[in-house]
Amino acid sequence: MTLLIGAGLSFLGLAALCLSMGRHHQALWPVPPESRRVLGLRVAGWTLIGLSLAAAIRLDGWNFGPVDWLGSLTGAGLLLIVVQSYRPRVLLWLVPVAAAITAVAALGALA
Amino acid sequence: MKQGFRQSMAWLHTWSGLVVGWVLFAVFVTGTATYYRADISRWMQPELRREATVTPETLAASADLAVAHLQAQAGAARTWFIGLPTPEKPLVELFWRTKPGAAPGHVLLDPRTGAPAAMRATRGGDFFYRFHFELNLPPLWGRWIVGLCAMVMLVALVSGIVTHRRIFSDFFTLRRDKAAQRGWLDAHNVSGVLALPFHLMITYTGVVTLALMYMPWGVTAAYKGDQFAFFAETGQITRNRPAAGQPGTLAPVGPMVRQALATIPEPLERLTIANPRDANSTVVAVFEEPHGLSHEHPQVAFAGTSGDVVEVLSGGLQPAAKTFTTLVGLHEAHFAGAALRVLFFLCGLMGCAMVASGLVLWSVARLPKSGAVPGFGWRLVHALNLGTIAGLPGAVAAYFLANRLLPLDLAGRAEWEVRVFFGTWILVAGLGAWPAPRRAWRLSLAAVAALFAAVVVADAATARGLWDDPAWFLGFDAALLALAAGFALISHKIARYAGPRRARRAVPEPAPRMEAA
Repeated sequence: MTLLIGAGLSFLGLAALCLSMGRHHQALWPVPPESRRVLGLRVAGWTLIGLSLAAAIRLDGWNFGPVDWLGSLTGAGLLLIVVQSYRPRVLLWLVPVAAAITAVAALGALA
Repeated sequence: MKQGFRQSMAWLHTWSGLVVGWVLFAVFVTGTATYYRADISRWMQPELRREATVTPETLAASADLAVAHLQAQAGAARTWFIGLPTPEKPLVELFWRTKPGAAPGHVLLDPRTGAPAAMRATRGGDFFYRFHFELNLPPLWGRWIVGLCAMVMLVALVSGIVTHRRIFSDFFTLRRDKAAQRGWLDAHNVSGVLALPFHLMITYTGVVTLALMYMPWGVTAAYKGDQFAFFAETGQITRNRPAAGQPGTLAPVGPMVRQALATIPEPLERLTIANPRDANSTVVAVFEEPHGLSHEHPQVAFAGTSGDVVEVLSGGLQPAAKTFTTLVGLHEAHFAGAALRVLFFLCGLMGCAMVASGLVLWSVARLPKSGAVPGFGWRLVHALNLGTIAGLPGAVAAYFLANRLLPLDLAGRAEWEVRVFFGTWILVAGLGAWPAPRRAWRLSLAAVAALFAAVVVADAATARGLWDDPAWFLGFDAALLALAAGFALISHKIARYAGPRRARRAVPEPAPRMEAA
């Protein structure tokens, strides 16, 4: 469960950071992102990655939390890079799906 | 030295990576496989029947049976090792060592009958485990070579980080529409940077596991070179009890097993019996690690002749020893459950990809101009690259295939599986050195894919009737098929690769190229 939540939050965070870059933004939309959008995506990206670390430590403690977090961050990064490099438009539905799965998993962990 | 810092680091990264790359690829592949060592062993002995539970009575009876067998077969041995039955492997595994240097004795017993278990002989996943740090060489040689390569790898990692000027801006970049060299550089960067925490951790902790061998001087000075005294004083093993030189009779071990089980709540893993026929014999019960990052086996030591407890080790390590065992624990990842283990495995695969793409990048960056004859150095690196990157996976597949196809009653069957492993490796490397590079890569990787697919066919054809849990075996075979598909895909991509579009427009009729991919 920790890995799912961590990977979900990391995936969303990394996706935001990725789309804040002109080259990757233009794989989905015709124009480079405007500066406010860049700022918004970067803040969201780093916040989500920070949240994924916080969630991993909260759920699995200081011993296993960081190990789980690095593992899920790497796994999420691999998925993101493969998808945005081979089928970038898949991100348009994969991001909402990841957000929904993460939200459900997080609610399950809180309950 | 007129060069800038970054250029000299780039030079260091290129050449340090190249000289150790081939060994590192083998270490990464076998180490990654070792995350599934127990599963590989189980797949390679489909005769094994698992049990729901192993009771304390079974453990005690198994220990008595093991000692009876060893008294009859290995009375002169200095040390006996008794692996006790577990639900996953309900067998008694015996090792004994008669004198240093001699090959250890080994037998697998069925605890219900006391007779040797009816299993095909194989080294299973243990072969990859030992190869990972000994390369199937004499232990001292293998460990030194792997250790030196790992130390150079740390140099290559750090110089690689310094060299990579766009870690953040290229973090997500995998360009496939540019020149081959750019594509390989992106693949090398992504596999290296994305799993960088893993690469740094696994290389550093890998050196740490054998640090006392590489840097023995502290122990030499403080303990007169007696490493066991050092391990005992830091609480990692029980204290050594030297032989008295007087004959003695070993007390029944069954009661000792029961008492050990009552002392430590973890599952009991094995017994070690030192100097079994001496008045000062010692029986040590070694338990599985409690859940935690640290690699620490709780242990209970008994005086062999009386059966009295002489020492109980359970936690309570001092900070330095705890640091060491935690680093070793992180390397081995015994704590990882199924999901985390998949992630460790993926990180290991990315390590393989990083080393392989780095090696290929070296030769792609130095491709001879079209029409020019490649020099000896380039051909040597190319042949070693292909021999390692295609040869080793081919050898792994052939090792599995031999496990299913060699006759079950073949004398020295386990050794024959290893011979098939090395024979295939040499064959792929030798055959791959002759054709034009691109053709050689395409054909050899297609052959690797075919070998992995053949393993699945051979498993279904010869061992299906033995599967105790068909879903599990099908899962393992599915993983092998995924590997086959991966290699087939790479081979297909190599066949289809036509260079970047821009370059093709500039040169209307490209001469036959020498791309590695």
